[in-house]
Amino acid sequence: MKRRNFLKNAGTAALVTTLPAPLVRAATPDDFHIAAILSFSGAYGLIGNDMRKGAEQAVAERGGTVLGKPIRFSWEDDETKPQPAVQKASRLLGEGAQMIFGAVSSASTLALQSLSTQRKVPHLVTISADDAITKRDGAPYSFRTSNTLGMEINMSMEFVKSRGLKKIYAVTADYQATRSGFERFEELAKEAGVEIVGNDFAPLGNRDYSVIIDKMIRSDADGIAVMATGNDGITFVKQAGQVDLGKDKVIFGPVLQDDIFAAATGPAALGVNSGVRYHYSVDNPTNNAFVAAYREQHGEMPSSFAGEAYDGLRWWLDVVEQSDSWDVETWVEAFANSVHETSVEGRKEMRACDHQAAQVGLWGEVVKGEAPLPELTMKINEIFPADRLFDAC
Amino acid sequence: MTRRTVGQTLMAVIIAAMIAIPFFLPGEQWVNLVSLILIWALFAIGFDLVFGVTGMLSFGHAALLGSGGYALTVLTLSYQVGFLPALLAAAVMGALLAFCMGLFALRVSGLFFALLTLALAQMVYILASNKLRALTGGVDGIPGVPRPDLFGINFYDNRNYYAFIVVVFLIGLAVMALLRASPFGRALRAVQANDTRASQLGHNVHALRQSAFVVSGAYAGISGGLLASLMFYISPQMLHWATSGDVMIMTVLGGKGTLLGPILGVAVFELLKEELSQVTQYWYGILGLIFILATIFLRNGIAGLFHGPDDQDQGGAS
Amino acid sequence: MSTLIIGLSLSFLLFLLSAGLTLIFGMLGVINFAHGALYMLGAYVSYQIVQITGSFWLGLLFAPLIVAALGALIEIVALKRVYSRDHIFQLLLTFGLILVIDDATKLIWGFDYKQVPTPEMLTAPVALFGSQIPSYRLFVIAFGALVSLGLFLLLDRSKWGMIIRAASSDADMARTLGIDVNQVRTGVFALGSFLAALGGAITAPLVPIELGMGFSVIIDCFVVVIIGGLGNIRGAIFASLLLGMTRAVGFTYATEWVELLTFALLIGTLMFRPEGLFSYKGRSA
Repeated sequence: MKRRNFLKNAGTAALVTTLPAPLVRAATPDDFHIAAILSFSGAYGLIGNDMRKGAEQAVAERGGTVLGKPIRFSWEDDETKPQPAVQKASRLLGEGAQMIFGAVSSASTLALQSLSTQRKVPHLVTISADDAITKRDGAPYSFRTSNTLGMEINMSMEFVKSRGLKKIYAVTADYQATRSGFERFEELAKEAGVEIVGNDFAPLGNRDYSVIIDKMIRSDADGIAVMATGNDGITFVKQAGQVDLGKDKVIFGPVLQDDIFAAATGPAALGVNSGVRYHYSVDNPTNNAFVAAYREQHGEMPSSFAGEAYDGLRWWLDVVEQSDSWDVETWVEAFANSVHETSVEGRKEMRACDHQAAQVGLWGEVVKGEAPLPELTMKINEIFPADRLFDAC
Repeated sequence: MTRRTVGQTLMAVIIAAMIAIPFFLPGEQWVNLVSLILIWALFAIGFDLVFGVTGMLSFGHAALLGSGGYALTVLTLSYQVGFLPALLAAAVMGALLAFCMGLFALRVSGLFFALLTLALAQMVYILASNKLRALTGGVDGIPGVPRPDLFGINFYDNRNYYAFIVVVFLIGLAVMALLRASPFGRALRAVQANDTRASQLGHNVHALRQSAFVVSGAYAGISGGLLASLMFYISPQMLHWATSGDVMIMTVLGGKGTLLGPILGVAVFELLKEELSQVTQYWYGILGLIFILATIFLRNGIAGLFHGPDDQDQGGAS
Repeated sequence: MSTLIIGLSLSFLLFLLSAGLTLIFGMLGVINFAHGALYMLGAYVSYQIVQITGSFWLGLLFAPLIVAALGALIEIVALKRVYSRDHIFQLLLTFGLILVIDDATKLIWGFDYKQVPTPEMLTAPVALFGSQIPSYRLFVIAFGALVSLGLFLLLDRSKWGMIIRAASSDADMARTLGIDVNQVRTGVFALGSFLAALGGAITAPLVPIELGMGFSVIIDCFVVVIIGGLGNIRGAIFASLLLGMTRAVGFTYATEWVELLTFALLIGTLMFRPEGLFSYKGRSA
């Protein structure tokens, strides 16, 4: 409703506009300018840095050019807040940037999305997972090449079924996306005959889960679903470790752990199961080449943030290259119908109906790693095919 | 007094030049930056009516700013109200919330007033972030806040919207200048100087404080509406206590209790932020150092540089 | 029953987090906004010490000492210059300090999460009241009780406490009695910083160590300090207990409402007893 109104407004505005921005841009510019709005400080500061490394790798690999022009990034820090994100993106678009790349938090990404719609500038999302970002017939210039929370919730239920878990106690961050994630999980549980024996909504940014964990211990649940990520997820798993909650209950969540979160959690992360956005251990030629080049450059394994950024930008730039045009509408049209056969995760297919890339889902468990792997690392146990995770378009 | 007059003229000239720049320079960079500065400046001069003129440190102004932003957003998007009536409603919303907060907070004074306004605003923030999410969009906020729809002008063009902001800002500034020079303004200053004496002189101190807070709320509400429209977006971030901290910093940096000081404070703050963040990742730390130095050495803020050492806005509109 | 024990551990954590803030306010009249940043710094320094020595206990001891030294430096270089001015300037100065400390931390330790493992001897949970209680939580209760007792003895019963109270209630009088008020103030700020860092070091095994952690605790600290009565250590103990228990019960029965409950408590206090629930009138602030 809200969005439709906005589109209507933006549409009317476009009709009466006297200065059609896209026409100005259609002339061949000196370079391909990417407005990269990421978090380099604030809650997701770490993520922005990794995404930058991945994105730069994607550009370096093609000799730093697209359509015969050099690619130029403007890296801007949104401090993990929407207002600076829009402010900085507006400035860069004013300077003639050809596209927006980012942001990290879903709130910033949604804010950038309305800017992209209004200014008719392509917008590439490679990390934010809120389902609202790729709603059906949503923002016409936005694309997401990474996971949605929805598919990760679906994976969680597939995992519950394959592990034969019967009773689940859940903790859900009190936040729109995770709340609807839990509702979806509840529905799937009902269909699968799995009982939800409890659920607590904990405030976003909660620092103490001890009371909730105590309730979990005293319950007869055999699985603990954690619908929270980042600090909240780490804090929960860390504190659960102090009472060995994972000893006779399986702890899992849609985006609960990856190598970075495991390192922050410590030994308590061992045995925790989680959906994974991207993993360096996926074995295919593209990924092997990417991981090797990344390790040479940075001396570490690429994180899921770096991997997703690399993958999305590489795909987008390939499509732009093939379009052989500087027309935004041509790019958007081509990307909406494109298939990325050589993604680092296998195959990704852009869905024209919601601009979401359909893709396989990785599911793993935290295990001990041997050098050169980190001390704690994700072992990918299952790869779910796309048709089990996405509804038909 | 001469130095004072010269200083003020100089400040006015600088501000006028800043407002004029985007009309003459090409590119959108200045338009965006000065748009932001003027909106925040409107917020700051409203804040200073409570803080600098009446002498109450409010730490709850973020809630007033955000409530205005949400009022405009919800009215235009969900109820198809026109932009100008919605902007007016934003002012009313800010004033109304200020009135309600005042009912609680004005029972106490001094530091307790600061802490109570902080607590009340933080509660509004938490409510908007989760319990009221049906209305506010929760933490993710609401994208697609519209621009004005007037006279067939396309305000989605940032230059046109800038002109709109300038008009609103100048009206706001003029009204504030009149208010401060009026008997009402003088009475507020009397309250700040000595509230017991002010009440002996026949002023209703509580009503004066309440009125100042309400007017300030209206300014904050309008600023919030303009800001949401500038960004096409609103989220509870606008209500967070750090926003209250920012406006306080800007006002003190610029010179509290002066009409033009807070505007310069906002300009310097935003300009420093804009420039430093392009140079280094550690710009926040450098900004912090600058604040510390300014706190220690610039007793009367930037306005003090223009006014000379004796300042503290002794009367009349500056 | 287990809820009660956990409530106690929440309470003493809150007390350890906020004791330094209330001390600095009570004795110096300064609202130290940088309290959260010093708390974060305590956690990072203790992480560093654990990395080097492998001992949580050395971290718990030395991190607060190091941060206390930094606190003394801050007081001498900056804060000292603005005591004579309005509260707002001290607030502004400590606000600026947050930005500086946060970025310095980012510069030294980088963005990535750090973690301090639970000390070996406290990893096994204890079976109590039909549930499993983390032994680290029991340690927090004991440690918190010890620190609060120590602070109480120091401030209310010792000669040092008398000097501090004398210097804070009437600086001129204290000077004529031969007390070096400047030194006392530096000492009090250092002690407040010590306590902030102690809070950070003791929380380190419970949460990921990251750059936002200071920002997230400051409001909690304010709540305790206000409910307890600005600057009142005994009040802070009671307020921590009240808040910790409220939270424990809240998380048991109505998790979604815990945050609002906290603020309702706070606003009620400020409206009806702005001087704090546990303050003796005229005692401080």
